[in-house]
Amino acid sequence: MTGLGYAMTPVLAAAPLSPPTHRDIWWLIIIKTLAIFAFLVLATLFMIWAERRVVARMQQRIGPNRVGPFGLLQSLADGLKLALKEDIVPAMADKAVYILAPVISAIPAFMAFAVIPFGPTVSIAGHHTNLQLTDLPVAVLFVLAMSSLGVYGIVLAGWSSGSPYPLLGGVRSAAQVVSYEIAMGLSFVGVFLYAGSLSTSQIVAAQAHRWGILWAAISFAVYAIAMVGETNRAPFDLPEGETEIVGGFHTEYTSLKFALFYLAEYINMVTVSALMTTLFLGGWRAPWPISLWSEANVGWWPLLWFLIKLGIVLFVFIWLRGTLPRFRYDQFMQLGWKVLIPVNLLWILAEAAIRVVNVSNWRTWVIPIVVLAALLILGSFIADVVQRRSEERMQMPRVGPALVPNPDSPYPVPALGPATHPPLAATVAAREGASGESHSDVRTEGDGRA
Amino acid sequence: MRLLAAFHAAANPNAIPAPHIEYRAILPMLIVFGVACVGVLVEAFVPRVHRAVTQTVLALAGLVAALVAVVANTGLPRRLVVQSAVAADGPTLFIQGTILALSIGALLLIADRSIGADSDFVAQAADLPGTEQERASVRAGLRQTEVFPLAMFAVAGMMLFPAANDLVLAFVALEVLSLPLYLLAGMARRRRLLSQEAAVKYFLLGAFSSAFFVYGLALVYGYAKSVEYGDIATSLTSSDRGDSLVIVGLALIGISLLFKLSGVPFHWWTPDVYQGAPTPITAFMAAGTKVAAFGALLRVFFVAFGGLAWDWRPVVWGVAIATMVVGAILGVTQTDVKRLLAYSSIAHAGFILTAFAATTRASESSVLFYLVAYGFMNIGAFAIVMLVRDADGEANHLSRWVGLGRRSPLMAGIFALFLLAMAGLPPTSGLWAKVAVFQAAYQGGAGPLVIVGVLASAVTAYYYLRIIVLMFSQEPAVEGPTVVMPGALSAAAIALGVAVTIVLGVVPQTVLDLADKAVPFLR
Amino acid sequence: MFSYVPIFALFLLAGGFAVFSIIAGSLTGPKRYNRAKYDAYECGIEPTPQPVGGGRFPVKYYLTAMLFIVFDIEIIFLYPWAVAYADMGVFGLVEMVLFIVTVFIAYVYVWRRGGLEWD
Repeated sequence: MTGLGYAMTPVLAAAPLSPPTHRDIWWLIIIKTLAIFAFLVLATLFMIWAERRVVARMQQRIGPNRVGPFGLLQSLADGLKLALKEDIVPAMADKAVYILAPVISAIPAFMAFAVIPFGPTVSIAGHHTNLQLTDLPVAVLFVLAMSSLGVYGIVLAGWSSGSPYPLLGGVRSAAQVVSYEIAMGLSFVGVFLYAGSLSTSQIVAAQAHRWGILWAAISFAVYAIAMVGETNRAPFDLPEGETEIVGGFHTEYTSLKFALFYLAEYINMVTVSALMTTLFLGGWRAPWPISLWSEANVGWWPLLWFLIKLGIVLFVFIWLRGTLPRFRYDQFMQLGWKVLIPVNLLWILAEAAIRVVNVSNWRTWVIPIVVLAALLILGSFIADVVQRRSEERMQMPRVGPALVPNPDSPYPVPALGPATHPPLAATVAAREGASGESHSDVRTEGDGRA
Repeated sequence: MRLLAAFHAAANPNAIPAPHIEYRAILPMLIVFGVACVGVLVEAFVPRVHRAVTQTVLALAGLVAALVAVVANTGLPRRLVVQSAVAADGPTLFIQGTILALSIGALLLIADRSIGADSDFVAQAADLPGTEQERASVRAGLRQTEVFPLAMFAVAGMMLFPAANDLVLAFVALEVLSLPLYLLAGMARRRRLLSQEAAVKYFLLGAFSSAFFVYGLALVYGYAKSVEYGDIATSLTSSDRGDSLVIVGLALIGISLLFKLSGVPFHWWTPDVYQGAPTPITAFMAAGTKVAAFGALLRVFFVAFGGLAWDWRPVVWGVAIATMVVGAILGVTQTDVKRLLAYSSIAHAGFILTAFAATTRASESSVLFYLVAYGFMNIGAFAIVMLVRDADGEANHLSRWVGLGRRSPLMAGIFALFLLAMAGLPPTSGLWAKVAVFQAAYQGGAGPLVIVGVLASAVTAYYYLRIIVLMFSQEPAVEGPTVVMPGALSAAAIALGVAVTIVLGVVPQTVLDLADKAVPFLR
Repeated sequence: MFSYVPIFALFLLAGGFAVFSIIAGSLTGPKRYNRAKYDAYECGIEPTPQPVGGGRFPVKYYLTAMLFIVFDIEIIFLYPWAVAYADMGVFGLVEMVLFIVTVFIAYVYVWRRGGLEWD
């Protein structure tokens, strides 16, 4: 017997692909690379504009509408403005790392998009190719790796700024991203259980008859929460909220370096939305009524379905920002560690158990999944209520003396204070030390006015 | 099971068959791992008041159960189990039994709270030394009871390390054995800075040695296309490629193993770590780690790399001579009794290495016997060191040990017994151990090593006897340390050490035969 | 191997864009020196002096990072298992239950000891 103990079947070998992309013509690769790059930059510009308009509408105002039709060129104007700002490097900053940090943040953000499938095989100038920059057998792992690399940019930016608040902001951002990355990674396991592959195109193919949201409902729910936490977006944006620790890790950054961070954040948002679309919402496949039309999943049409789904998910991001108040830092760290991880682990085991019991007939397992999902959600509500009750019980203020109104003054002045002040700790100790001392240090109401 | 049958009825051509695992053969290790995991749960859920007692009972019960399982396994046929990853042969059973017995002794020392004001372990390891928080923890009577599951994990790793039949599992066992010990070395209650320094030193050097192991593993895998010891041995005989890759790999693995058993020049951590660690942990390390490391060394070098014996034997000669010389000579100048015992353990490692230089069956069995004798005498010696205390805790400086024989003849007499055993004088087990080892070395053709060994023994005997003279011949200082009477648990550990030392000194034949029956290693 | 070439192309493009924008940013902006611009920003007041090489931050972030490593390694073990799960049957399920339970024991211990608090 050779090898590591027993025969290891190559479980991560590439499944057969539809016309292979890994042998594209070189100019096709260049075209697709440029297309992805342009798409990401345009998507960012569009997202910034859309966010400002939609949040404005939710807050019953108009939002930018001056620069270009409907204010569409506002993001471009902002970008140009940033480029023309003065480029300041703080005196206390570590120059090399300070300049490198935005680059480290931006590059993985772009690269993560390489494996997202926009559509099936199409024909460009006679050559067949997938509407996907590249298709790795470990595509989802690649995306996870790229988002992990992006954390370096945040921490290094905060550390190299030479000031305590960016450092703390950067470390807090990083701690948050890292905590939600675990929840995200665990929800991927639920996807792999039904898809049987790490490759994004295989996962889309596995959703031909039923979308991932049905196969792995709890994973979808956890992923939805985790993706908001991972991208430092509302309601989890405490490390960089405007009213919080100034600007967080990018406080000391100006001009285009700041623009790169902004770009990286929005590209991350687009990437996780695209990943949700691919893993749970059927990717580029048309939804049910449209999928009855046999041409819906062929050619260039799937690009439209993909963009529509992506737009809906991005709208949900903006919707959350406009609607929900911000979580406190310890609250969302608790959510990430104490709720999302155990729920996810239990769900993975449940899904695996259900698949072992009956692999083929979907009716027998959809019902347990739904029941289990309902139980888990109900259980988390109950646990939350119980915990909040116990917290309140611990912090319940002791019933103190009633406030005494001040009848002497004709004006509506506030009450003078409690009828009897609680004794100072030092006087309690002194009183116990020498028993029977006078209560001279305890101020009663009469003393105040005498 | 119907479900399994239904699954297989689908006739999946890609189905991965379940591996065959002989649970009974690995039951001792499973018991100890299970006890360790339950210990972690006890830490999480049992209220603090009951934690120490629960952990002690759980750990002791687990170790005893594992020992019973080892004894029950002696009837099983000798074979490779768990898809050839673990070797369930004679030496495995012998070494695992030894480790379990030594661990029971060490656990009795760890659990004892009656010596001194409280146990030897820190109140709360997260407190910075010298702060008000530390004082508050001590006042509150806290105790870091995680030492029990940590020690159990270390025991489990020690049991797996000599039993592993492939390098990857050996590496995993090495890490499982080492990481808890790094932590445990830093958890002394008194002289915390010294203890934390010892832990950091152990961790840094240990991490490097683990890295060497992995690097050597990779090179050997590149040569042999397999990490199993049997396959490596086969590839050594049949391959027509150059040797350089496997020799470098062997050297790196050898460095790592020599680090674990304090072979020169990888012994630098031993005196500092033995001195800084809490004394029960020093006893645990000195006994258990050495036994496990020697078991693994024998298996790796004899089974996997036996074909390269011409290449590694001269190096082992050099290392053995250097180890004995360093252990003997540097021990003479020591003034701290724990450091002195550390150098003496280096010297003992050197003595064992002399037998290791001769690859005969007698050498294997003599090494096993020496490990038994050495382990118990060390546990006993460190237990007595725990008892010599003054107002600040243990009094480890030799100058404070003057005249202890007059003050407390029983404990000093027992300590003298252990020192005589280490020196190799009759009627203790040390004598027969040294005789067996030197005889095996001589018969294997390592005559010069025996000469160096005898000379080194004489030097070590000098400083052992010097301590005995110090204890008995002079009057104790008036304000000197006292020898505290041990609690029940420590007394049991000391009694165990004394019993084994004397019994093996008077009637060694039983254990010698047992060791002889256990070898050879399964190839 | 060739499937990574497009990723490398995208890396070059993104890297070029990032470096270009940083260089362009430093060239196209004005340079009007003011001492206050080069201080650390602390909401307008004089900044407190910081030690060289960055300040310290609380050790609880280190704890979060360590726990992340542990659970990330668990996730890495879960991925190949999930992909090959259809071929493994009941043995695969039982084995992964044991693995998750073992990591879960450590998780429960950390939870009860307050390692997941206040951060």
